[in-house]
Amino acid sequence: MKRSSIVLLAVVALLIGALLVTLQDASVYATFEMAKKQQPETVTVVATLDLEAPMDFDPKGSILTFQAIDKEGQHATVRYNQPKPTDFERSEEITLTGHFTDSAFIATEILMKCPSKYTDGEGVNPDIIYTDNQPSS
Amino acid sequence: MHYLGEHSFWSLLGRLFVALSFAGALVAAFFYGIQAFRTPEEREERPALGVRGAARWAYGLHSIGVLGTIAVLFIALFNHWFEFDYVWRHSSLDMPMQYIASCFWEGQEGSFLLWLTWHMILGWVLIRTAKTWEYGTLFALSLVQLFLASMLLGIYLGDLKLGSSPFILIRELPDNIGLPWTQMSDYLMRIPAFRDGQGLNPLLQNYWMVIHPPTLFLGFAAVTIPFLFAMTGLWEKRYTEWVQPALPWTFFGISILGTGILMGGAWAYEALSFGGFWAWDPVENSSLVPWLTLVAAGHLMMVVKHKKTAPATAIFLALLSFLLVLYSTFLTRSGILGDTSVHAFVDLGLNGQLLALLGFFTLGSLGIFFWHQRKMPKSPSEDAFSSREFWMFIGSLTLLLSAAQITFSTSIPVFNKLIGPEGLIPLLATQLAPPADAAQHYNSLQIPFALIISVLMGIAPFLRWKETPKELARRAVLSALLTVVLTALVAWGLELTAILYVALLATAIFAFLANADYWLRFLRGKWTAGGMALAHLGFALVLIGALISNAKKEAISTNITFIHKDFPSNENILLPLGDTVSMFPYYVSWRGERMEGHNRLFDVDFYEVDKPLASWADGERKHLKPSFQLQPFIQMNARMGNVREPSTQHFWNRDIYTYVSYADLRSESEKSGDWKEPMEASLKTGDEVFLFNTYLLHGDTLVVQDAAFDPATGELTHLDLALSLTLKGMDGTRYPIVLPYHLDGNNVENVEVELADLGIKIRFDGVKDEAGTYGITAWEKKSNDPPFILMQAFIFPYINLLWLGSILMGVGSLLAVWKRIYRSLNEGKK
Repeated sequence: MKRSSIVLLAVVALLIGALLVTLQDASVYATFEMAKKQQPETVTVVATLDLEAPMDFDPKGSILTFQAIDKEGQHATVRYNQPKPTDFERSEEITLTGHFTDSAFIATEILMKCPSKYTDGEGVNPDIIYTDNQPSS
Repeated sequence: MHYLGEHSFWSLLGRLFVALSFAGALVAAFFYGIQAFRTPEEREERPALGVRGAARWAYGLHSIGVLGTIAVLFIALFNHWFEFDYVWRHSSLDMPMQYIASCFWEGQEGSFLLWLTWHMILGWVLIRTAKTWEYGTLFALSLVQLFLASMLLGIYLGDLKLGSSPFILIRELPDNIGLPWTQMSDYLMRIPAFRDGQGLNPLLQNYWMVIHPPTLFLGFAAVTIPFLFAMTGLWEKRYTEWVQPALPWTFFGISILGTGILMGGAWAYEALSFGGFWAWDPVENSSLVPWLTLVAAGHLMMVVKHKKTAPATAIFLALLSFLLVLYSTFLTRSGILGDTSVHAFVDLGLNGQLLALLGFFTLGSLGIFFWHQRKMPKSPSEDAFSSREFWMFIGSLTLLLSAAQITFSTSIPVFNKLIGPEGLIPLLATQLAPPADAAQHYNSLQIPFALIISVLMGIAPFLRWKETPKELARRAVLSALLTVVLTALVAWGLELTAILYVALLATAIFAFLANADYWLRFLRGKWTAGGMALAHLGFALVLIGALISNAKKEAISTNITFIHKDFPSNENILLPLGDTVSMFPYYVSWRGERMEGHNRLFDVDFYEVDKPLASWADGERKHLKPSFQLQPFIQMNARMGNVREPSTQHFWNRDIYTYVSYADLRSESEKSGDWKEPMEASLKTGDEVFLFNTYLLHGDTLVVQDAAFDPATGELTHLDLALSLTLKGMDGTRYPIVLPYHLDGNNVENVEVELADLGIKIRFDGVKDEAGTYGITAWEKKSNDPPFILMQAFIFPYINLLWLGSILMGVGSLLAVWKRIYRSLNEGKK
């Protein structure tokens, strides 16, 4: 067998191996219900913040407790072992990575999507401009 | 209609320049295309100077268009013409002037323009130097430019939006067309929203953001050049000759792109609070991947240059590097990364166009590649096992594999679009999410690749083309021996135990020593010849620095409060104002906060223990000596959100990196307004109870001032009580308090008495039992808690090795460029 064929085989084997490991590492986007079923497993949930429910931040232990609603409309209590992200309340959508325990969803990472931070927003809102500044004459 | 005060002329001029650059690229592509598809003989027959002249003229017009576009955009930004949508979105009046450049490339249009500009400039270098390669390379470059310029056109063909113009006025936005205010000739004066813009994203208000994007885009532009040469090589059937002129460009690209990527890391480290210089974020990954493939391409091109045969892999990798830059552009600009990355751009509605760009060049270049593949010369014999070319090939394959793995993991959102439940071909039942622990995922997969690469870098200087003489290989023994000793020392000194880390440390140290040895002993430290050795040892240092600073990154700010079994104690230290808190190996004290411009700075003093404590009774403070001060800050930005920014103390061997993870940013009046949860207590005359852990409350007397009974039932109908208490402060101060209690029928009136100085109020709740126990309720103001912040602090050991390595790597690869230019200049003279 030629050396180049051996190298090629090794490469293909490595590639398949690496891809399999990657797929194994990949988590799935889940709902709270799915997360509850596969309890200790880490999942990613795309949710929104429930602004009506109380949000509590205990600065001494730096634990943030809040309610989130997933895409199916299910509520869950989420605990996050980090200080409250800046402008948390302004987030449009939050991506939670973590797992369920008996008491709550424990988030290890929260990614926020803010309306104005990286997305440029909708620009000058013409209605607001116009109604706020009706020519007085 | 003429709009008062509006710079409509400039808007038009800007668009004309964009159109000129588009048209210029089109014409240049046409004329260069005519020449590019002629055989050399045909070119000889018809010395088409006219065609070449026309092509260059067209390229010149294209260049004027690009430069004009930049000039108009800068003028608009500089003069704060907020009627321009781009200016309004990306700048504001209060922004420091030095960040105007950052505004320029904050938006997609600006960064496309930056890319376009670098291509344009590199194109002129090609025109001056590429000689017979000019037609092919400039033809392909003009096509690339055509696509990029079209991204800035901002015109509609029917319903199809072609590009997004940086010169569009707000009143011309599709959403605003037809609204009444756009018909007012003096709308700029009437509408206050036009007086100031949205401002620059606070994260980008950093000096690194002034130099990182241009460097990175110069790197991206440099990746294009080997692609141009490879394409020309294909269709002119000069399958192996193209590597000669393309090699300096490849090394240039490796140097600049590598530097640009690491500058991005430096920015993340200095300005972002995710705690490191690399987070395997999709945006970072997608700039690293083309660099990896370009490095692989460069090495294979050297093999082709030497062997003059078997160019297929080198061509493929040169094409692939450029295609991966396009793919990276698509990933970061199409909005597809959405929930997976913090710094992806917004969807500008150009996805179709971006896909067309990616599709055209992918199908076009790979199609031509596979068409020509059969015709390429094949290597007549196998490379010897001890030859340099064989190991270079292995190294390049390893880099390619590493790139493939990163691309695969980064592309998970793309797979969702393609085969996810809502994708084109729904194969998957659920959406795939990126790995939950990105760092762990990438590190564990990439370290084995890095291991192979660093071993190869170590043996590289001792390998020779065709076959390596045995005595040369023996020279590596010294480095190998030293490696064992040094690795053992470093691993022991740093208490590095994880096998994979120690292995990488060993191989990287070997790569460093072998190349240093080669440069100093064999090349006697000569700069011109040392490019390879320096670049390799620089990269080895980058690996060592990244490894040590990551593996031994230590959070020194630990929160020792026990929270819950689900929660490990976390990495946020609580710093009450003025207290000195132990944060091993330092003592820290938060002294106060102040505003500086838009920044709220928190002054944190670090102390070191001067000498070991004799005894605790001595008091600790006098044995502490001030060490350094840090000012982590929060950039206050009401519109875009506040941003926490780190502050870092640099030592030669370690960095102390801190940022404020929580601070109460409300105003004074908001903070002091509310009361905390009340506490209840009961006591008798002569008793003492603790109040809020700070006061002793002493029951003095309870006086019945008035009482009346219902003669019929004997029930109490009226009662006036006065409870006298004494509140004792810690310093012995006494505060006498008298609390009233009125009962009239069923109505109780017991007002709270407030001690304004102390921020306390107390209420008497009446007598509870026969024994005369009385109940009281007390409140304390929220502001009575000393203000505090939460801070995170990390030690990054030996991170300077990383920065030093990246400089050496950049310099080394530039030296490799210089060596080739120098040679070709000398050959030219002969």
